[in-house]
Amino acid sequence: MGLITILMVFWLLMIVVYVMLNRGIWVFTDVTKGFSLFMLEKALGPAIDFAEGRSGSGSVAWIIQGAVWLAISSTLTFIGLWLGHEPNALHSLSAWGLNPTSESLLLAGKLSTIFGAVGMFLIGSALHIVPNLANTNLASEKNATLVSFVWALSVSIMVIGAYRPEIFGVKILLISTVINSLALIAIIVNLLLTASSRERKIAFPGWLIIIGLISFPVSTLTVVITGNITSGTGQWALVRLIGASFFLQLSGVGLYAASFGSGNPLWSRSLTAITLAGSIFTLNPIGFTSGELSAMFLGLDPSLLEPSRNDLIGGSFIMALFAVPLIALASNLIITIRGDDSFIENSDNPGIAEINFGAIMLIPVGISFLFIQTDFLSGNNELMEISSSMHLLAIWTVLVPISLGATLCIFPAVSGRNVLSANRSRRAFWMMSGGAFTGIIFTIMGDFSNISLLESNPEAVITETPNALRSLGSVIFYFVVLGSIFQCLNMIRGFYRGSKIINENSQSSTSISMKSYNLTKTTTVRKLFSKGATMETEIVPVSESEKQGKPTEL
Amino acid sequence: MISGGNIVSSWDVIMENEKKDSVSEFIEGENEPAASWILFILGFVITIIFLVLYGVLFPGSDLPVVSTILPIFEGVFDSGLWFFILGIMIGAFAILGTMLTEATSE
Repeated sequence: MGLITILMVFWLLMIVVYVMLNRGIWVFTDVTKGFSLFMLEKALGPAIDFAEGRSGSGSVAWIIQGAVWLAISSTLTFIGLWLGHEPNALHSLSAWGLNPTSESLLLAGKLSTIFGAVGMFLIGSALHIVPNLANTNLASEKNATLVSFVWALSVSIMVIGAYRPEIFGVKILLISTVINSLALIAIIVNLLLTASSRERKIAFPGWLIIIGLISFPVSTLTVVITGNITSGTGQWALVRLIGASFFLQLSGVGLYAASFGSGNPLWSRSLTAITLAGSIFTLNPIGFTSGELSAMFLGLDPSLLEPSRNDLIGGSFIMALFAVPLIALASNLIITIRGDDSFIENSDNPGIAEINFGAIMLIPVGISFLFIQTDFLSGNNELMEISSSMHLLAIWTVLVPISLGATLCIFPAVSGRNVLSANRSRRAFWMMSGGAFTGIIFTIMGDFSNISLLESNPEAVITETPNALRSLGSVIFYFVVLGSIFQCLNMIRGFYRGSKIINENSQSSTSISMKSYNLTKTTTVRKLFSKGATMETEIVPVSESEKQGKPTEL
Repeated sequence: MISGGNIVSSWDVIMENEKKDSVSEFIEGENEPAASWILFILGFVITIIFLVLYGVLFPGSDLPVVSTILPIFEGVFDSGLWFFILGIMIGAFAILGTMLTEATSE
């Protein structure tokens, strides 16, 4: 079976999932609900007592660990970039039996960023967003906290597996997949239980997150049941579908945070629906180019991609359609942040700048990947030299800014405190965004120089010009490492010593949560919107009085 | 009229109480005095002066102890990358230190 069959089975399964979720999650009857809750908490025995059950604790555990992974992953990526122009820089480590290469470190860096930093930020934010949109509490805060450590363990094993895929005949990445899947299933069950006890209709960003998480195991299941897991086409399709899973989660978290952080209502629900449908019914080109990684994660031998003519035409066409959800998301994010004028609302919030940067970079990065993937699918492989660097650009200028920005917007609400210093966060943002964009662009320039040199002389593999550009690129990327460390320190210190949130309503709150607004004095419509009111919010005029418990004239 | 003996005994009681108060407590200022940085920089400057002086007084001679330790690291930290890694290690220890101190502080 070919690519189109895989996609059709995936679409069918996702439609079934969507219908089941919108019909009130009937799979979660009282018996299964009770059993699932038992499995999330009591079945884990004494281990669950190590975790705190305070509201927001699960979310904070994921976010703080994500911040630590951000520092680790940027370090691995930086060293990987450095070894690209000086392969023997760490040769002294061979005395300890370690021979890291640029490729292994870049892979470890990418995996730890995607699953460690971005993955943990997204799930940490989801643990706040879904209950908030459902107007209920998270089903199990304790399980969410405990599972964060399991997820972090799986990422640690992933990093080891990227460096040495097999130790004593044991496939390391397969172990990380098993542990990671356990943690993911626990989070999905936790969020589904939360959604099943919702007290109001969950807005689109919540569904984007839930469906994004569910599509992760569904995509693997699809490729397995269609019998394509050992074929090159199946492995390549799996990488694309898992990319869609991350894109859905990123969209949900980003759109919620854009409204939450800026105080503006979500600009367009239709565009959000297009993002949801478009991400599922198209092929996401952003991500790893080949399907080799999915085979490694499942402990299989990688197969060569040999698409049929139908796969090539159909795949290229469906991939090109990805431009629709891409543009829908980018425009929705940017306009939500900016509100009705050309200036960003609530620009003091350090997370808003991050989301804005990520949204701006979405379209150029997405369109570039369309060219790279089409080139790979057609077998030309003329752009393969830049695919690794482009992937880094996608990670550090789209995935990280949007997920980190959303986390920074949500952090005060979940921890009860602000980050230690908004200024430090802003400085770290400039270091990270500037360092990532400039550093990786220089690396891509080095890659292009290499392509040109190889075309003119196939013997010339390493020359001075690409190495000089790569050297410059890696040194500039060091600012990303510094920025990540500063962000991490700022969040940890903020968690302990940041200024307390006295009244959660004083922070910008999402437009979805405000049902009524007490009007005590004359105000502008703009101010009402900035406080979180929407077109549906009921304005209640309240007369001022000096009596106790009544609004007081200031 | 207070007799001389009474004055002395009252004074002794006051002194005793003051001594008790000063011994039983440890007091630490909240802010770092600006002058402490002067001492820190002075120490750094003196070290540099000492190294320059050593070079003038014993030209061509290696520094004792340091010159025997440094060759051990020859071939180990011979790439510029290690300077960057050193910075990252400081950052990593800062994160670890912050976690420990923030979690244990009252």
